[in-house]
Amino acid sequence: MAGSDQVNLIESKTVVPLNTWVLISNFKLAYNLLRRPDGTFNRHLAEFLDRKVPANANPVNGVFSFDVIMDRQTNLLSRVYRPAYAGGDPPSFTDLQKPVDGEVVPVIVFFHGGSFVHSSANSAIYDTLCRRLVGLCGFVVVSVNYRRAPENRYPCAYDDGWTALNWVNSRPWLQSKKDSKVHIFLAGDSSGGNIAHNVAVRAVESGIGVLGNILLNPMFGGTERTESETRLDGKYFVTVRDRDWYWRAFLPEGEDREHPACSPFGPKSKSLEGLSFPKSLVVVAGLDLIQDWQLKYAEGLKRAGQEVKLLYLDQATIGFYLLPNNNHFHTVMEEIAAFVNAECQ
Amino acid sequence: MKRDLHQFQGPPDTRFPNHGTANTGSSSKDKMMMVKEEEDGGNMDELLAVLGYKVRSSEMAEVALKLEQLETMMGNVQEDGLSNLATDTVHYNPSELYSWLDNMLTEFNPPPPEINNSFLAGAGGSDYDLKAIPGNAIYARSDQFAIDSSSSSNQAGDNSQSTKRLKSCSSPDSLVTGTTVTTTTTESTRSVGLAAESTRSMVLVDSQENGVRLVHALMACAEAIQNNDLSIAEALVKQIGFLAVSQAGAMRKVATYFAEALARRIYRLSPPQTQIDHSLSDTLQMHFYETCPYLKFAHFTANQAILEAFEGKKRVHVIDFSMNQGLQWPALMQALALREGGPPVFRLTGIGPPAADNSDHLHEVGCKLAQLAEAIHVEFEYRGFVANSLADLDASMLELRPSEIEAVAVNSVFELHKLLGRTGGIEKVLGVVKQIKPVIFTVVEQESSHNGPDFLDRFTESLHYYSTLFDSLEGVPSSQDKVMSEVYLGKQICNLVACEGPDRVERHETLSQWANRFGTSGFAPAHLGSNAFKQASMLLALFNGGEGYRVEENNGCLMLGWHTRPLITTSAWKLSAAH
Repeated sequence: MAGSDQVNLIESKTVVPLNTWVLISNFKLAYNLLRRPDGTFNRHLAEFLDRKVPANANPVNGVFSFDVIMDRQTNLLSRVYRPAYAGGDPPSFTDLQKPVDGEVVPVIVFFHGGSFVHSSANSAIYDTLCRRLVGLCGFVVVSVNYRRAPENRYPCAYDDGWTALNWVNSRPWLQSKKDSKVHIFLAGDSSGGNIAHNVAVRAVESGIGVLGNILLNPMFGGTERTESETRLDGKYFVTVRDRDWYWRAFLPEGEDREHPACSPFGPKSKSLEGLSFPKSLVVVAGLDLIQDWQLKYAEGLKRAGQEVKLLYLDQATIGFYLLPNNNHFHTVMEEIAAFVNAECQ
Repeated sequence: MKRDLHQFQGPPDTRFPNHGTANTGSSSKDKMMMVKEEEDGGNMDELLAVLGYKVRSSEMAEVALKLEQLETMMGNVQEDGLSNLATDTVHYNPSELYSWLDNMLTEFNPPPPEINNSFLAGAGGSDYDLKAIPGNAIYARSDQFAIDSSSSSNQAGDNSQSTKRLKSCSSPDSLVTGTTVTTTTTESTRSVGLAAESTRSMVLVDSQENGVRLVHALMACAEAIQNNDLSIAEALVKQIGFLAVSQAGAMRKVATYFAEALARRIYRLSPPQTQIDHSLSDTLQMHFYETCPYLKFAHFTANQAILEAFEGKKRVHVIDFSMNQGLQWPALMQALALREGGPPVFRLTGIGPPAADNSDHLHEVGCKLAQLAEAIHVEFEYRGFVANSLADLDASMLELRPSEIEAVAVNSVFELHKLLGRTGGIEKVLGVVKQIKPVIFTVVEQESSHNGPDFLDRFTESLHYYSTLFDSLEGVPSSQDKVMSEVYLGKQICNLVACEGPDRVERHETLSQWANRFGTSGFAPAHLGSNAFKQASMLLALFNGGEGYRVEENNGCLMLGWHTRPLITTSAWKLSAAH
């Protein structure tokens, strides 16, 4: 296999800047060390290797953050990011939860990626990404530190997402002045995108208003081997085998990838037809091997009569949004800003 | 008075000897990461630095090559072998990609057809790694100190014994090389403080109305004191008293201690002298030790570093700046006893302040440890030194033996910050440590900035710090231990808030600040690895409310925190190559 691996390595190197290649390859290497064939996970080593950053109530580049325990029972923690207050002074403790100041202030509930297994809300890559999102247009971002597989399988991550949504929805200080309501968007990358979708479904069923979903390279799958999986297997940092491992880690034991959590428009899923599901922005990277599933997802939304904008980025790999050194990154940031601001008229 | 962000900032970089000490102003408050020109001219890649990885731009291609080599190598290993390799290898400082990858290339290459453990025997994961020592201290504490009239033998500057002058020998650094500590000297001096200097990290749990008003009142009171508006401060302190009573849980306790400290400051009532209070402090610390994992973590991680540094040494000597009841040492002694090839000769020098009643408590502690040593068949030697301040010590008092014969570790848990209130104090002590030429210098300190020049800033930082600490204790069932732990922390709060000048000893500083100080004083980091991390994490799981405790690796040091807020840091140091 060594020969074809050499080809693979060279291919992936031609499509991303070198530092991006190093970053993502480093993750790939580390993650390979952590997954065990028997389905268990080396959590201690994972936490040791993960680069974390503390919250910072002192504004940096116009953004400050603080952590909240949303639920004492489950110790569910989230990191709240806010634009710095006028004047740029560091907010005092009592000012952290000062009411948002605007007719319409979008609040993005963000679910980090990591294939349901890796990363945390305080992982450096996600802290950085969330700060960028705030910087886009003065949104508030709430990044949820949901429970991860394999220690906590489906539906824990969704339950935590739901708890977070309710928490955000019930904060008086997050209400927009226009209508004294919290203007909520759900967002996530990879597994976070999957969580965003599922939390949105639950929101719709319970009558909590979500204004839009933003799914970056969302993690979906199915039992079938799609054309993109076969074509791109192992070529751009990701293998079908590792995807399978993560689904086995997240889904209930004994379930296969037809499970609705994996395949939301598969044979076992409920229809979204007729529901007032939020509009969706679905970003698909052209070199992501699960893109066929992501495209099926967008299709499924359309067929169910839901509003969806599909953004297909030809030569983008996974993780392109982690570093601002490529056009795809800037394109996506603009699209997200436009998508969210459209609701703020 | 407008609070100035500059006050928060400590010096950022350990690599520049001419950089000033704490609290130099900087206009870089907007930068999360200080990007520095390395002395040989290569910049760190800024984008990766923000994400927690330190890679020089000039080395990017080389790092990429190493990644490719590892990928190929790993492709040759069977699946099971891969995760075994991961488990058995000890990893260090993952931020330094270059050296992390190098370490793995060394470990994984070449794998024999059948992966077995003998291939990995040289790796840092060792048979005698410390196991988590749960539960109570190894021996029962005495409730009172026996008054021993023949207590003169261990006074500082022991006149009855001949002092051996330290021979000036330039022994080569006898550190075990290879996989157990950071590889080359160049790597070890790369360490750049990664955390933003002016970070205020907060975990909010209680967002109830009363909690916020209470904090607001406390801050307003502190501000009034800073502005010398003492009548306003007085009124506020009374208001705080009322608010605190209606508050529940951790916040009430914290507010009460801070309010008391503020009152003392307003009325200029000095707290009990810490000098005569050491026996009480020791007792309180024992309670703290039992209640929550902070001290156990400190001892455990420091011992791990010491154990690794002592590998292969036949005679070892630990100099403990924080002897107290000697709680740290039974575990180390047991680990040494179980060492492959048998234990070394173990010598311990315990340093502590005089007891209130002049009892020879250091001697007693030594006797208990001697009993343990005998039981586990470790040859043991002990000296106790009483000193009011560590700065009173000279290397000549310590009866050091040549480093070829005896390897020395210096250990300090929550002691160094006390020197910062005394001019020249820390410099003197670090100078003594250098004279000792230890193979390892382990330091545990509170991870917070409580020593800035601005009272209000100190107050704010410490309010958040102790709120988090008290919050972590909430999960512990009520007991005398718990109450006494709170008193222990309360005394720190009192000292921090109510005292000034040399009386104020609780002058906590952050890892970046300490790292800079050690760096400019001639020390280089000795990294703690994934084995220590793992075992520390497992230790935490044994504690009630273990859920909230987190271990984090930061620049080769280990931090224990409550959720996402680091609270204490264990770091290890060795003399840098130039010294």
